[in-house]
Amino acid sequence: MNTPRTLVLEPGPHLHAATTTASIMWWVNASLAPAAAWGVFVFGPAALAVIAAAVAGAVASEWLACRALHRRPTIRDGSALCTGLLLALTLPPLTPWWMAALGAAFGVLVAKMLFGGLGMNLFNPALAGRAFMMASFPLAMTSAWAAPRVGLTARLDAVTTATPLAVLKEQGLAAAMKVVAGDPWPRLVLGFRPGSIGEVSVVLIALGAAVLLARRIIGLAIPLSVLAGTALATIGSGAPGLHLLGGGLWLGAFYMATDYVTSPSTRGGQIVFGLGIGLLTGLIRLFGGYPEGICYAILIGNAMVPALNLWFRPRRVAALAGSPS
Amino acid sequence: MRAPLLRRFGRGGVHPEPSKQATAWRPIERLPAPHEVRLPLLQHLGEPATPIVQKGDLVRRGQKIAEGGETGVPLHATISGKVKPIERVPHPVHVLAPAIVIVRHGEDAEELEFPEDPEWRSCARDEALARIREAGIVGLGGAAFPTWRKLQLPAGVSVDTLIVNGAECEPYLTADYRTMLSHPADVIEGALILARIVGARRVLIGIEADKLAAKWWLDVAAHGGAQREMPVEVVPCEIHYPQGAERQLVTALTGRVVPARALPSAVGVLVQNVATAASVYEAVRWRRPLLDRVMTVSGPGIQVPRNLRVPIGTLLGEVVAFCGGMDPDTTRVVAGGPMMGRSLPRLDVPVIKGMNGLVLLKGRGPFEDGFGPCIQCGRCLEACPLGLEPDQVSVRVEAGRPLDTEPYGAIDCYECGSCSYACPSHRPLVQFMQVAKSALRRASELRVAP
Repeated sequence: MNTPRTLVLEPGPHLHAATTTASIMWWVNASLAPAAAWGVFVFGPAALAVIAAAVAGAVASEWLACRALHRRPTIRDGSALCTGLLLALTLPPLTPWWMAALGAAFGVLVAKMLFGGLGMNLFNPALAGRAFMMASFPLAMTSAWAAPRVGLTARLDAVTTATPLAVLKEQGLAAAMKVVAGDPWPRLVLGFRPGSIGEVSVVLIALGAAVLLARRIIGLAIPLSVLAGTALATIGSGAPGLHLLGGGLWLGAFYMATDYVTSPSTRGGQIVFGLGIGLLTGLIRLFGGYPEGICYAILIGNAMVPALNLWFRPRRVAALAGSPS
Repeated sequence: MRAPLLRRFGRGGVHPEPSKQATAWRPIERLPAPHEVRLPLLQHLGEPATPIVQKGDLVRRGQKIAEGGETGVPLHATISGKVKPIERVPHPVHVLAPAIVIVRHGEDAEELEFPEDPEWRSCARDEALARIREAGIVGLGGAAFPTWRKLQLPAGVSVDTLIVNGAECEPYLTADYRTMLSHPADVIEGALILARIVGARRVLIGIEADKLAAKWWLDVAAHGGAQREMPVEVVPCEIHYPQGAERQLVTALTGRVVPARALPSAVGVLVQNVATAASVYEAVRWRRPLLDRVMTVSGPGIQVPRNLRVPIGTLLGEVVAFCGGMDPDTTRVVAGGPMMGRSLPRLDVPVIKGMNGLVLLKGRGPFEDGFGPCIQCGRCLEACPLGLEPDQVSVRVEAGRPLDTEPYGAIDCYECGSCSYACPSHRPLVQFMQVAKSALRRASELRVAP
């Protein structure tokens, strides 16, 4: 009998589901590719520079942090790349590249690695990076919007413009709809409108999210309740449709709020979390100082996660005999 | 409301690839009597057996060679031969443990004769229990708890349903399935004996949906001939791990939920494995002891996967050799099923009573590359059939605070492995649970001590 040289002693179970942390992260990254590519297409090479800089900033910071902390390098699990990519997709297309890199570095180093690395962070690193940039570079973050291509074959005009939600806040619905040239609703859904690099094409975000849903990487509880919350908060504002389609709501609902580490683990908590984020987004947009509220709403939601996990725990199947069930 | 087509338990569970096609179609084959058997004195839960034979004694297959004492079960020679000095030998569970070694001696003497008791159907309860105890029968689903003890219900507890566990939810294993196919009458008669002993009024046989052929044979055995004294029903369940766990099967078949830290008898149910039922039948009708183990040898690492009837005490090396040997790329040999079985470092260990399978796996194991941090994805929470919180237990054990895990259910975990199976960070959640459990137990012992 030819016995193998060594038999491995291992703890059970000896079989394992195919899904791993790295495979999850890489699927998330891959599913973002269409929306990212669309951003580069409608806003031009400047958007590509922002994406490249944010990704490089995030990956380099994580690599440096792992070296400094004498940890196993964790670049290959794809989570740093994911942070950089997600951050870039929330940025105005004409953001200077070094700002994007700096924001990504802040997100990875301060929001993630200082808290203990993957799994330990309280706040979504990409959105923490964005909040840092809002505080540090308010002018660029609110004015570096580029006018998009107006059609698939249209030329690219490198001019700045305002986002629909900003115009909505300042001048009302009619003016906001003019920002989206032509027939506004299909153009909002397809992504021919000014906005952050990755937020503009609702249909491509939905396509990426559908892949993640089909692979059971994300569930519907959080994103649907975020959308529902915002719809609820803005229904009386006269422009619920523009609130749902004109900002970063879909990117936030399907890709930011669903981050495992910074969202509740059980269904009940997820629904409360999502509704809260959706409502807050609407409130910030309607009554706050910013035209867009999804970023801060999610960060506030992140802070609620430990409490939500405590309040919404799985129900035990079997109570102790004699105890009330 | 109409009953669903297939039953299942309430929450949780996972779907590992069943991988049963390699052996499901293969009848049980008999392994030729080996040259040597090693019979560990402890292959059950309880005190080790006490030898009643000495070095040099000649014994025959079927002869009792060790007494069971107050809490254990006796042990029988599984081949005829000469007793060697009792020594500590490698053991699949206890690493090294004393065993009676029997080596074939001269002509192969036949098994002892076990004449039938013609009155076996009307065998009194205590007499039946004594025969089951004397036959050395333990729970053959893997736990190896002495059956005679399980059948003695605590005072004030009554059982109305006997469940025969034929779910066999572990991937690769088909031993119980083939037992139901080839000995359906033994299973039914054994189940009725068990039901009579505990005073149950019905028998439910739980199987997973891939064993519907067994349902047909069991139905024929149960209702084809004589009128039965109580209803016997074969209930197909979804293929859903851990369907064959006692608590989960009770819920799937009766809708009753066994309270935490209680036995199924708390809700009027007793569960016995199909192989146990078949052995009980032989023990009561012929006073025949438990001598062989039906086991599945399968997995990508074995050349010829088989279902085998193996004399207990046969070395695994011989079992593997009979199945064409091991692929040189085999990395792990698992005694039992791949979900709850344990990996073995060597093949010179004997088959013991509770070993229902041997699964040879190739490739790197899930934990070989270490494990990552908890990313709070919630998959373990969804997978746990009890609604426990393996994530919370694991981070607390990692932080060196195992005593803080009590609220998250560490004590109630029976280690089905669903959480570890589902974890994308390959965290050894079952082992975190074990650490938490033993710390909590030790703490409660210290608290009770004067």
